[in-house]
Amino acid sequence: MLDFILLSSHLPSSNLPYLFAAFAVSWVVLFGYLFYVNRRQHEMKKEIARLQNVLDQTPEEE
Amino acid sequence: MNGLLGPIMVIVWKDVLLELRSRDLVVSVVVFGLLVVVVFNFALNNTPGRSEELAPGILWAAFAFAAILSMNRAFVRDQEQGGLEGLLISPVSRDAIFLGKAFTSLIFMLLVEAALLPIYAVMLDFSALSWYLMLTIFLGTLGFAVVGTLFSAMAVQTRSREIMLPVLFFPVLLPVIIAAVEATTRAVGGETFIGLGRWLPLIGVFDALFLVICPWVFSFVVEE
Amino acid sequence: MANTQSIERSGGAGAFPSVKTILALITGVMMLVDLYFIFMVAPTDSVLGHVQRVFYFHVPIAIVSFLAFFVVFIGSLGFLIRRTPKWDAVAHASAEVGVVFVTLALLTGIIWARPIWNTWWTWEPRLTTTMILWLIYVAYLMVRSYAPSQSKGAIYAAVVGIIGFVDVPIVYYSVVWWRSIHPSPVVGPFAQADALDGTMALVLLFSLITFLFFFAYMVAERMELRSTEEALGRIRFTLRRRGR
Repeated sequence: MLDFILLSSHLPSSNLPYLFAAFAVSWVVLFGYLFYVNRRQHEMKKEIARLQNVLDQTPEEE
Repeated sequence: MNGLLGPIMVIVWKDVLLELRSRDLVVSVVVFGLLVVVVFNFALNNTPGRSEELAPGILWAAFAFAAILSMNRAFVRDQEQGGLEGLLISPVSRDAIFLGKAFTSLIFMLLVEAALLPIYAVMLDFSALSWYLMLTIFLGTLGFAVVGTLFSAMAVQTRSREIMLPVLFFPVLLPVIIAAVEATTRAVGGETFIGLGRWLPLIGVFDALFLVICPWVFSFVVEE
Repeated sequence: MANTQSIERSGGAGAFPSVKTILALITGVMMLVDLYFIFMVAPTDSVLGHVQRVFYFHVPIAIVSFLAFFVVFIGSLGFLIRRTPKWDAVAHASAEVGVVFVTLALLTGIIWARPIWNTWWTWEPRLTTTMILWLIYVAYLMVRSYAPSQSKGAIYAAVVGIIGFVDVPIVYYSVVWWRSIHPSPVVGPFAQADALDGTMALVLLFSLITFLFFFAYMVAERMELRSTEEALGRIRFTLRRRGR
């Protein structure tokens, strides 16, 4: 179990902000990228559906 | 092997002739090399005491930038004049074309470096009279030429060609630059082959490795 | 009415979504377990304190970023030799996800360095090689997008993928040797592989496996994005041919 009372006495100096920063940055970057990929995917799928409709409405060539 | 050497020599001869007729490329790169040294001299605060420490680094930084400049210009000219297409249509093997171009760049850069070296020796206050220094410069420049020619061939076709070559070139050639600076420091200090440590073999291995790989991938780069 | 039209409707190759979803689920679960291990199970380092736990993210991320480059290398080789788009798709996705991982490795490395060595950056071999790796990945992506055409871009990128990968070990050793001559005056408690306690090693290993799954999942996502891009391209092409 994490002992919050002892936490600060274990540190050579107050390094916890760095610990937080490292994990925070990791989540932001990893999920940021996944979010970006998913959003582009979503937008493209919408565009494909839209174009598909247009395609259905135009007669085939020749 | 004979079949390879002939075409290579022809290509080299053609490019060297072109260059001798115009001279503009050699002169401009030499001037550039001088400018780089002046800038670095002030940027690094090169006082007489520190010259020994800083000179090899400044030398190789200047050589590296000059290499990029000369390879960039050489291929741009080739592309504008359609020289490369002409070669590709002819029955010359891709390997020969690549080696011809790389060798031309090598000769060209060695000429520029030969012009700059005495000037650097004076400006940066070191003794250039060392065979090991010559060897280091040769091997390092060979590395620049082999990998640089491949990357130039790609970069010249891209949208942002001036930036593409340095972006490709520097990360890959970093080991050569590190090794060259270290070997130069020792060569200038009067060391002999053993004293140069692992640095020259490192450049040697790099050169050998890429002399095999680059011609192979070059054929993919120029195919239609 | 053509059969070709209905292919676009089905939303891509059938097997893809389920592999991706499985990977996502496994990753999600493992990550939760991993966090538990990192914060509740791993012992506190006696010298460095709790901040040492960054290690359990930083090291696996760095390892995965190198692995990603290996995948790019294999994909690039496969593409140049076989020329099927699948090889290029794997290389491309792996490179992009790889950039994300290397960026993160560098960022966590910097955040790690500050409390440990009292400096934001140190030119030590692993960090320097990671920096070079980042530069090569970026060059890979740049050459692909600045190339005159998609197909040329794929070829150029493959060349960079191969040359870059072969170069990385040479870069690493050159910096190691350089370092042995120019040691850095490091201030602060040394983070040099503090004798890895058994539990620490296990947590590290588990974390590595977690990130391997995370990597696989992200590559799967990116590859699906690419197929969607291609589907969009095809439908635009068809429309243009019909004069719309």
